[in-house]
Amino acid sequence: MFRTLVACLVMALPMPALADRTDTILDQHVLPGFAELAASSQALSEAAQSECQATAVPLRDAYTHAFDAWIRVSHLRFGPTERDNRGFALAFWPDSRSSTPKTLTALIHNEDPIVTDPKAFPTVSIAGRGFYAMEYLLCDPRLSTLGDDAYRCALIQAIAQDIATTSRDVDQDWRQTYVALMKTPEPGGVYQSEAEVLQEFYKALDTGLQINADLRLGRPLGTFDKPRPKRAEVWRSDRSLRHLQLSLEQLRQLVRLLAADDTDLAQRLDAKFDVAQTKADALNDPAFAGVATPAGRFRIEVLQQAVNGIRTEVTQSLGPALGVSVGFNSLDGD
Amino acid sequence: MATRRRFLAGLAASTLIPASSWADMGAPAFVSAARTVDGDYHLFGLTGAGEVVFQVPLPARGHAAAAHPERAEVVAFARRPGRFAVMLDCANGAVLAELAAPVGRHFYGHGVYSADGHLLFTTENDYENARGVIGVWNAKNYARLGEFPSGGVGPHDLRLMPDAATLVVANGGIETHPDSGRAKLNLPFMQPNLSYLSLDGVNAEQAELPPDLRMNSIRHLDVRADGLVGFATQWQGDRMHSPAVIGIHRRGDQPKMLYAAPDQARAMEGYGGSVAFFDHGRRIAVSSPRGGVLQTGDMTLGVVEQNLSIPDVCGVGVAEGALHATTGTGAFWRLSEGAQALTQLPLAWDNHLVRISPV
Repeated sequence: MFRTLVACLVMALPMPALADRTDTILDQHVLPGFAELAASSQALSEAAQSECQATAVPLRDAYTHAFDAWIRVSHLRFGPTERDNRGFALAFWPDSRSSTPKTLTALIHNEDPIVTDPKAFPTVSIAGRGFYAMEYLLCDPRLSTLGDDAYRCALIQAIAQDIATTSRDVDQDWRQTYVALMKTPEPGGVYQSEAEVLQEFYKALDTGLQINADLRLGRPLGTFDKPRPKRAEVWRSDRSLRHLQLSLEQLRQLVRLLAADDTDLAQRLDAKFDVAQTKADALNDPAFAGVATPAGRFRIEVLQQAVNGIRTEVTQSLGPALGVSVGFNSLDGD
Repeated sequence: MATRRRFLAGLAASTLIPASSWADMGAPAFVSAARTVDGDYHLFGLTGAGEVVFQVPLPARGHAAAAHPERAEVVAFARRPGRFAVMLDCANGAVLAELAAPVGRHFYGHGVYSADGHLLFTTENDYENARGVIGVWNAKNYARLGEFPSGGVGPHDLRLMPDAATLVVANGGIETHPDSGRAKLNLPFMQPNLSYLSLDGVNAEQAELPPDLRMNSIRHLDVRADGLVGFATQWQGDRMHSPAVIGIHRRGDQPKMLYAAPDQARAMEGYGGSVAFFDHGRRIAVSSPRGGVLQTGDMTLGVVEQNLSIPDVCGVGVAEGALHATTGTGAFWRLSEGAQALTQLPLAWDNHLVRISPV
């Protein structure tokens, strides 16, 4: 009888406290990610300063590391990341109107001197800034050779420096102000309760999964009659699948931290991630070019279904566990 | 095939002749779609007291509907990015016609009839060109007559102005493509507007919010008898800035957001679901299903008055001079001398409570 009583007491304890969960997510998931983004972006800028040819191996390696670091935090699109359009300045994609190549072409043709002024460069259209613009300059056959070599070099340096500055600002804002807002929610604050903080992370998770399913996979899939391999994200650098894999890894980490000590829930979600990640790892199609062939397309559709399977499980089991409203109209988005 | 089509057209025509009027149907004040406990979707006719006067099945989850000004017929739209709309005879639930969006277009979920009931206008996405269009349909046989630009990207709600010669369109500004589900493709460049179009598509006037509200997507509309337009917005930016989601516009002026105290604004969670003028146009209401809040504003002062807590509230509309609201939990509310739930049904009321014009 005594044992039963103890068991009941233990079960009634909220485990762990919501505030602990917030602290863990910030300390283990958010802050290290933005610190890595800031450091690797600074390294990218330095690499571009020393050697700016599109083919330079140190530059391309530094670009790979910094872009990876961005993809690992790219689901955290709120607070410091959204201030002053920073998220878009780092990552303008999808580019449904081909604004990035148009903006870069215009800069190169006009040899716009704005590239020599780091203070003015942020006034360039966001389509001409960030990691996706740099992909064109490093990997697109036309843009990586267009115009004057010295000008293109200066443009690469300007974009790299701009990425470093933006990443540093985001990282600083997270550490200096936003962490405190999320760790100590209070009435009248940006977050009024721990529940609101966890809902913000939940929303980031759900949007991250939607981007993987609907954009990263959905855009190249197009329709059966009209596949769109050239709409895949970063196909020029063969990074499309890598982005999906990096993102799923990070979202899985976030899910584990949100599920915390609820092992049943964590296992159910883990199983869904396993299905999707196993399929992604076995795909062997780095730029999703297979969307244009029946067999390749089938495998990418199955992968998309697996990602949507995670999303459904998240909505059905993690959402209610976090007290996220699942009203008929409240999550409709119209 | 041609024979079958002619047969269907003939069937439609024959049912049109003895068409019922709204008075024959028990003079419902509203129609609204809802999900039933079985998980099916139906369109319901409701009195101003929230009593159901008719019920007809829908093929899938609906969004908004447009009621014919005289005949007891409703066009119900699929939710975005739907390709179908059905014209229903509310007397017997018969599907009088199915409207299919043309190739390269999908519906956004709202439509409006011309005052004489001859034409139906629908908001649509020309998604390969990321351009909003207004589809024009013959409201007798539901043949497509043509289309014209909506004046922006992502047109959502549209209404007929009191002059009966002008449409006002809420171009939400957000680009989507059916290949990418409901994902938003152009947030860094989005630019919503209100466009005033003649019935043959001449763009007479456009109004935009100031640059710092560029990400406040204008989605839903109501029009007062004197032509003042009320609009509800959905904020696409960060929660650090949680602006008001309720605004007004008079042609020739700049659009204005109502002033809301910071706590009142943030309770809406940046999301206005539906909007309606009430109290003879002296007040306006906007619902936020996200915040579980029905917010009212005073038109004389141009400020938000109060926030009422109503879980999953979305549909709003006026009947018998009073404001009514529906919820995803099946409640039908009336707001007069305080708020009270008049009916509670085992239904999930969908986004919009569509008013039927008195005939």
